[in-house]
Amino acid sequence: MSQKDQIDAMLEEIEEVTDDISDVSWMDIPVLIVFAALFFVVALQFFTRYVLNDSLGWTEEIARYFLILLGFVGGISCVRLGKHIFLEFAYYYIPVKAIKPIILLVETITFAFWGYAAVLAIELAQKTRSNMVSIDLPKAYIYYCVSIGCALMALFSILILVRQARRPAQDIIEEKIPFFVKAV
Amino acid sequence: MALTFLFALLALFLILGVPVAVALGGASLAYIMVKGLPDVLLIHRMIGGIDSFPLLAIPFFILAGHLMNTGGITTKIFAFARSLVGWLPGGLGHVNVGASVIFAGMSGAAVADAGGLGSVEIKAMREAGYDVDFSVGITAASSTIGPIIPPSLPLVIYGVMASVSIGELFAAGLIPGLLMAVSLMIMVAWYAKKRNYPKDSHIDFCNIWATFKEAFLPLLTPVIIVGGIATGIFTPTEAAVAAVCYALLLGLAVYRSLTWRHLVRVSMDTILTSAAILMIIASAAVFAWILTSEQVATKLGDLLLGVTDNKNVLLIIMMLIVLVIGLFMETIAAITILVPVLMPIALTAGIDPVHLGILLILNLMLGLLTPPVGMVLFVLAEVSGVKFEQCVRATMPFLVPLIIVLLLIMFIPEIALWLPTMVYR
Repeated sequence: MSQKDQIDAMLEEIEEVTDDISDVSWMDIPVLIVFAALFFVVALQFFTRYVLNDSLGWTEEIARYFLILLGFVGGISCVRLGKHIFLEFAYYYIPVKAIKPIILLVETITFAFWGYAAVLAIELAQKTRSNMVSIDLPKAYIYYCVSIGCALMALFSILILVRQARRPAQDIIEEKIPFFVKAV
Repeated sequence: MALTFLFALLALFLILGVPVAVALGGASLAYIMVKGLPDVLLIHRMIGGIDSFPLLAIPFFILAGHLMNTGGITTKIFAFARSLVGWLPGGLGHVNVGASVIFAGMSGAAVADAGGLGSVEIKAMREAGYDVDFSVGITAASSTIGPIIPPSLPLVIYGVMASVSIGELFAAGLIPGLLMAVSLMIMVAWYAKKRNYPKDSHIDFCNIWATFKEAFLPLLTPVIIVGGIATGIFTPTEAAVAAVCYALLLGLAVYRSLTWRHLVRVSMDTILTSAAILMIIASAAVFAWILTSEQVATKLGDLLLGVTDNKNVLLIIMMLIVLVIGLFMETIAAITILVPVLMPIALTAGIDPVHLGILLILNLMLGLLTPPVGMVLFVLAEVSGVKFEQCVRATMPFLVPLIIVLLLIMFIPEIALWLPTMVYR
């Protein structure tokens, strides 16, 4: 095979697209719906503004609410799959033995934070009397959804805490940092 | 006192590896409690932080980038870049830069570029007999062009945090991004001469035309996004939606490669990335609110302005701070923490916030290429099988052209500001 053919063959390889959806669970259905709704609302605004020359007033506000939900409901999936962004540089410099207690502490902090945020969101919802501007629904509904999101993030943190407590440190670190190379 | 506590706790959380959103929110919550403020403030500010129309651009740009990875679009772009600049000495090195520039107009992240395109580029260059250090170095360095050329997620986040027009920021990124490409291509040419690297192919206009025709439809994406925003037809959010619609059209009607499974896959990836970013921005809003009410920036500004009132010296000090933070911190986390501190100082000193934005992002990109964190290097070490330390050493020389570009933009603000001034002001 000539050099050019080899390169071409390699290029063929990346044509394959990952279609593995094994880590998508039924628990992700709500956030997928939120995401689809967000897309349609924004596309509708886009369409009404450019094609009909008269943008629908409610689309902007509703899109913002869906964005809030995307954050707080999508956050649940992030906790479940360990996709929240964290800084891993310290893990390269501390002994593997010390990593496990640290990660357990981290999960505890995460649980406490989201749990408390869930309580605060309910408090905020109960204090909110106003309605949404463009449609006649209490704004508090959004805050209740946020509260549910935070509560589920707390719940998954606890589940992960229990799971990690049972595993050896090396497994935990390899799962948390896919490109784990111990610095020299 | 409470403020020292806030910073110490935040630093501790971040070092321990607490998720950035929780670290920012948790430290802020502790501060709110110590100060005896009503703690419902926390969730109110968090929700307020992402209750923003411009932020909608984030999920859509991410989705467009993912969709553009379907249907062998990567391959078509690579082939086009290859026919276009492959005949230069050090051919595949130039192709590497060229492909990164085209992809920069479609996706907004650097690490994704390194993972997808990078693995092909390194393999191809290796097979063609290029040295490993050169292949890794140029791939790493060219992946940082992505977040400078619009669309760019870091620029959207900077724009929202700093209340700066995202359209202007995007327009401002175009010329600096191309300048980065040129500087890297000069570097490639220099290496090629020194090490006598081969040409990849001869110049062949028929081939350029053929690959261009193949890549034409995908190539329209950056034209829609960059052109639409630069001419002021689209707001960045609208450009993002247009790009998604166009990518869907290509996937469904033209290439017919978009399956239901794939749509779920890319949607889920988009959701995960967007939600992780949104949660950081939400928590950062609480943190920023505390910094503002404590007048941290004013105090730091007085301190700095007491030392000097020279704009350039101030810029240098700021960039050194950013460089150090960027060495340790992930880009988005760094932006959300740095903006509330630096922005007011820049305004007092008369530094243009658009100018500062481009410098900030470019500077943080250097952090992606350097240890101890160096996300791009980790990805490249993984996909190329080259040791991490070797990747670090290989990339070092390529920091030189990037730093030169950073200094050029720093002292000649017009490089960044000319285009947005033409379009918007």
